Amino acid sequence: MENKDKNRGKNKLSRRHFLKASMAAGTLSGITLPLQSAVAAEAATTDTADNKAALPFSIRKLLNEATLPAAKGPRVVVVGGGWSGLTMAKYLKIHNAAFDVVLIDKRPEFISFPASNSWLADQINLDFLTHSYIDAAKAHNYQFLNTTVLGFDRESKKVFTSNGYISYDYMVLAPGIEYDYNRIGVDDPESQMRLYNDYPGGFVNSSEVITIKRKLNTFKGGTFVLNVPNGEYRCTAAPYERACMAAAIFKKRRIKAKILLLDMNAEIRIKKRGFEKAFSSLYGDYISYLPSTEISGVDIDNKTISTDFDDYQFDDAIIYPPVRASSLLEDAGIANLKTRQKVASTDPYKYHVIGDEHVYVTGDSRSQPFSKGGHTANSEAQYVAEVIAAHALGKEVRWRSPQTMCFSAVDINPLKAMSIITFYKFNKKNMEFEFDSTHMMEDWNVEGGQASLAWAEGMYRDMFYK
Amino acid sequence: MKAVIQYVLVGLMCLAASNVRAVEKITIQLDFTPDIEDGKTTFSVCARCHLPEAWGNADGTYPQLAGQHINVLMKQLLDIRNGTRQSSLMFPFVQQRTIGGYQELSNVVAYISTLPMNPDHAKGPWKEGTAEYNQGESIYQKNCSNCHGDNGEGNNERGYPKLQGQNFQYMSRQLGQIKSGLRVVHPAMQAVIQNLEFEQLDQAVNYASYFAVPKEDMAPSKTWRNPDFK
Repeated sequence: MENKDKNRGKNKLSRRHFLKASMAAGTLSGITLPLQSAVAAEAATTDTADNKAALPFSIRKLLNEATLPAAKGPRVVVVGGGWSGLTMAKYLKIHNAAFDVVLIDKRPEFISFPASNSWLADQINLDFLTHSYIDAAKAHNYQFLNTTVLGFDRESKKVFTSNGYISYDYMVLAPGIEYDYNRIGVDDPESQMRLYNDYPGGFVNSSEVITIKRKLNTFKGGTFVLNVPNGEYRCTAAPYERACMAAAIFKKRRIKAKILLLDMNAEIRIKKRGFEKAFSSLYGDYISYLPSTEISGVDIDNKTISTDFDDYQFDDAIIYPPVRASSLLEDAGIANLKTRQKVASTDPYKYHVIGDEHVYVTGDSRSQPFSKGGHTANSEAQYVAEVIAAHALGKEVRWRSPQTMCFSAVDINPLKAMSIITFYKFNKKNMEFEFDSTHMMEDWNVEGGQASLAWAEGMYRDMFYK
Repeated sequence: MKAVIQYVLVGLMCLAASNVRAVEKITIQLDFTPDIEDGKTTFSVCARCHLPEAWGNADGTYPQLAGQHINVLMKQLLDIRNGTRQSSLMFPFVQQRTIGGYQELSNVVAYISTLPMNPDHAKGPWKEGTAEYNQGESIYQKNCSNCHGDNGEGNNERGYPKLQGQNFQYMSRQLGQIKSGLRVVHPAMQAVIQNLEFEQLDQAVNYASYFAVPKEDMAPSKTWRNPDFK
């Protein structure tokens, strides 16, 4: 798979080449079998460059190096262009201008999840949420590659993509989350896929949010189910916020609709007083809030959600299953499958994979229990970028806590919102991170609504523009 | 109380007949009488991050704003508004379309200046009597006290920030950013910082972090909460 090996021993089986090829294939866990056999078959017959032509096109491409300008300094590959990866790419360049930074994402453009609940209720337009990776890379002097990561070889420090492989000196994995339908009793892939398509959760892929907006704006009436997952799901306040926005839309549309908000937790997880007040004073006729509702299965044909106690019939739904770290961590061979969210074993302060100080995990796939969301990812990445820049210089930086700033829209026309800000500290007694200097502002108002949008704009500015 | 905004326009005059370009400096002074009540309403937006007491935090993510001179606060807001001081997150909050004009800026800085300061702000790691503290004292007196004052009191007329009560980490990170070229400040300040090592800068702000905050400027206790936002 290395170019210099291309012309070695024509038509002769080279054991070294064979081993190398199968080793490389072995790291691509998602597609291990077909690739391994294809490459092994190739190596078993002949060992030449021309022979690559006999392989399927996509595989041949994969064995070549991706086309990128030659690295002018230590190359840092950032996998995942969400809030963490975008911030990381920018601040890596700020803290070490010599770094050659490549940001990879499979999405061609960025659509923000934070503030998207306000978009559902037409308080902002899609332009507000949509931003260009090209603008970001240009403004902050790194390269963006629109490609899909297929696997890793940490031994030879390569990341394999659908454009070919990229060699790295440092790699940051910020691939985010995946849904874990198993945890609501939906086990087989076919049902999972149907559930995803019929009732998308709206927290992984922006198409889900577009579908949800259409659903809310065309719902004819009846029972609309929303749920709050358990565990460390993405955006703690967002499912409650979304219930408010859905109710506001139904209220504005004057339809006879009931929102059942099934919470898998014992009580509202965050901004409890503010949300309780919103549910009762604004949406008493629309929202029924049901805490401690453990979802144990979904009957898609009969539109029924089963819980430990009751079954709930619905006409339409948004089903947000619990989440886990992206399976790319498994592909990299660093996920600890014994943890509930299948996170990597990383240093809690420095973020590198235990035993590999050249690979870091940040953002919502991190192993620390910080609140998953945009602001946390942004503030954390600013710090971790400094850690990596310092590592390259043989230095260290002092740990500082990520910061979670979280707004929740509660009412519309005009937009009204409330907020919370918190930091974290490590409690040495029970060896856990806990909230620190938490401040709630649960009285929602117009100033909060304006602040929520100014906040989002400031964050986009940080990630995309000069 | 009056907030005075002074700003300088550099006019670029192109003389049509020739390529000679004359640069003129125009100074305009505008006077505003702040409306504290309106400033309080505006501050409710700021308080979502800066918190109702505006005391900042120990790790230096936010500075202590309470008790700061109004001209210093105003200069920072205007510098962030026009991009001189880079703060992506603050930028949209201080635009005409969000916060309003000079009157509204005057209102909010006036309100902030009425807030009592944190009686227990975050200090540096080297206490009085340590070698680093003493080093810091001599660096400070030699390089910083001319403008920021022997006791870190700053100067409102000249727009020099008060350092009393400022959190150590905040000052340390700002100086680090200035030295690395990430924050642009007055050329005199820039020159002083370039002449000092990172270690010396930390020692100087360590010393500054131990300046006594005048009792009359302090909140009665560290558990004091701003009654305007209860």
